[in-house]
Amino acid sequence: MKYSDYIHESEINHKSLSYNLLTPKATKGKSLKPQKIKVSPAKALTLLAPYTISRIMEQIKAVVPLAAYLFLFQLLILRQPISSATTICLGLIAVIIGLAIFMEGLKTGLMPFGNVIGDTLPKKAPMVLVLIIIGILGVGVTYAEPAIGALKAFGSSINPQDAPYLYEILNNRSETLVVMVGAGVGLAAIIGTIRFVKGWSLKPMIYAALAPTIILTAYVWSNPDLRTILGLAWDCGAVTTGPVTVPLVLSLGIGIAASAGKGDSSLSGFGVVTMASLFPIIAVLILAIHVSQTISVEEIIASTSMASDMTIGEVSKWSQTPFVEIIGGVRAILPLVIFLMIVLFVILRSKLPNNMITTYGLTLSIIGMCVFNIGLTYGLGAIGGQAGTNLPAAFMEVPISEVSPIYNELLGLTIVILFAWLLGFGATLAEPALNALGLTVQELTNGAFKKSMLMYSVAGGVAFGIALGVGKIVFAFDLATVLIPLYLLAIVLTYFSTEEFVNVAWDSAGVTTGPVTVPLVLAMGLGLGNAVSATEGFGILSMASICPILAVLLMGLYIQFKQKK
Amino acid sequence: MARDITYLTDVFLITCVVESGLADKIIDAATSVGAQGATINYARGTGIRDRMGLLGVTIDEQKEIIRIIVSKEQSNRVFESMYLAGNLDTPGKGIMWMVKLDRVATYIPKDVIKRAGG
Repeated sequence: MKYSDYIHESEINHKSLSYNLLTPKATKGKSLKPQKIKVSPAKALTLLAPYTISRIMEQIKAVVPLAAYLFLFQLLILRQPISSATTICLGLIAVIIGLAIFMEGLKTGLMPFGNVIGDTLPKKAPMVLVLIIIGILGVGVTYAEPAIGALKAFGSSINPQDAPYLYEILNNRSETLVVMVGAGVGLAAIIGTIRFVKGWSLKPMIYAALAPTIILTAYVWSNPDLRTILGLAWDCGAVTTGPVTVPLVLSLGIGIAASAGKGDSSLSGFGVVTMASLFPIIAVLILAIHVSQTISVEEIIASTSMASDMTIGEVSKWSQTPFVEIIGGVRAILPLVIFLMIVLFVILRSKLPNNMITTYGLTLSIIGMCVFNIGLTYGLGAIGGQAGTNLPAAFMEVPISEVSPIYNELLGLTIVILFAWLLGFGATLAEPALNALGLTVQELTNGAFKKSMLMYSVAGGVAFGIALGVGKIVFAFDLATVLIPLYLLAIVLTYFSTEEFVNVAWDSAGVTTGPVTVPLVLAMGLGLGNAVSATEGFGILSMASICPILAVLLMGLYIQFKQKK
Repeated sequence: MARDITYLTDVFLITCVVESGLADKIIDAATSVGAQGATINYARGTGIRDRMGLLGVTIDEQKEIIRIIVSKEQSNRVFESMYLAGNLDTPGKGIMWMVKLDRVATYIPKDVIKRAGG
């Protein structure tokens, strides 16, 4: 007897049933269309359990290792107890559940809109209208980006004396800030779409976008009052390219490119992310210059002291948890949804494939956003801020720690930089978007650029970037003096690289900054900035954007060089 | 000079439609009991998902179609291990079937043909 026959007989019970017995019988005058299925509660549970668990597990994988790393580092290396650990744990659970719900909502609710609009809009509307809609959509998706709330949440930690314009923009003009960032993303989406259709090369676009960025940066840097805004401006570029913006803008762009007949280029999906991370920088810099011309430093400081007198004693119910977070969540998603609905139902007079599931998805995305916002404040923000505040205890005397400095200065600084490096490396490797990018790149380059090579060069780049950014805050060197040379180097490398590698490299920066990493790193930077009494703690993310670009470009050049040989 | 075609007989085709993301696991199970390789297509499914109302969201609309060519001798074992690896006995996971192929032709190395006594 054959072994396979033995297994076949012994381990599985076989039964046969005629399919004739299961299919409906043809009877006169009765429709044979399948009926709705009634699912019993027990069956529903077997369906729901794996559905829920797989989605929550995805987020646990992203959040828990990072949080554990921060916790352990603080306990073992910094020898600091974790304050309000229960609240932070509850907050992190809120982040996990919130993100799981939000991502499912994004997939079942928002994405179908994007796909239907991307398919039908270019056929039914003139090109100009399409571009306008895409531009407005850019603003909408920026609002809906989970990480953007982090920017607004951390504004209050800025000291108006040291960085007046930064304080003014983050506190009194945070809405304008988000709109400007959104406008940058909108413009990027428009230009990216035109690029899809015309099949332009990315290189000249990078030069064209970087020139004004660097000129504005140099101008802002030359003004000592404005200089503090640079970190924020460059960080905004990293914040915008998250899980809402990228897929929604891409699905529209690809739909349009396909209907214009030029959707065949395998690289057409790239480039939008690059633009969407450069234009917001320009937008924020312009906003800063505008603010500096309309309001003086003295006025800001005067108004802050007045405001602090007034707000004491009247904290309304609406500015407390959880109402603040819920309002924030609804305000983030609802405008985008209403805009998408207007486009779909009024302009296109089209319908959604499955109304009930889309409604369910939209509800989920709003609920998920609210829960995530709560977790952002109490989980990610708190743990990141605490890590940042405690970090200096490794190398200098700080009031919160009795044993500080724990190590001598050189060792302490090395530990802090190493901590930042590992944080960046681990957080980036865990980002699911990077894995996807790695696969795409491997296919595009026919295996010359291996997935693991891309993942390690991007993660290494981000790690160096975050270490450099932490160094910037600790040693208080000027952001512009590092950023401008690095970007100039990137331009030179871009000039020598082939189109494929340019596309991949410049987009790789955008994928690395997800909704977990961004708030964590921002909070850590600000906490660290306060602890070492630096004027501001922004700038880490901007470093984490440019370094992977350089790393991937260098890797690409190396591969080119090797292939020539 | 005339060119040769060697026809393979006793060949079965297993096709398996599953929720997207399950293919790798199932192919792994198939190759570990002797299947030589697999082809994967991405597809969109309809049917039971649309008839379950809101619970339909628990079933992924995106599907992967796995096709594996096996010999008659292997066929039962591969089929069964794929079924078990994919947990096709739970609702909503997928469906699979097997058909007998009339003939199959591909490149067969000379020494392999010799070894088989052909």
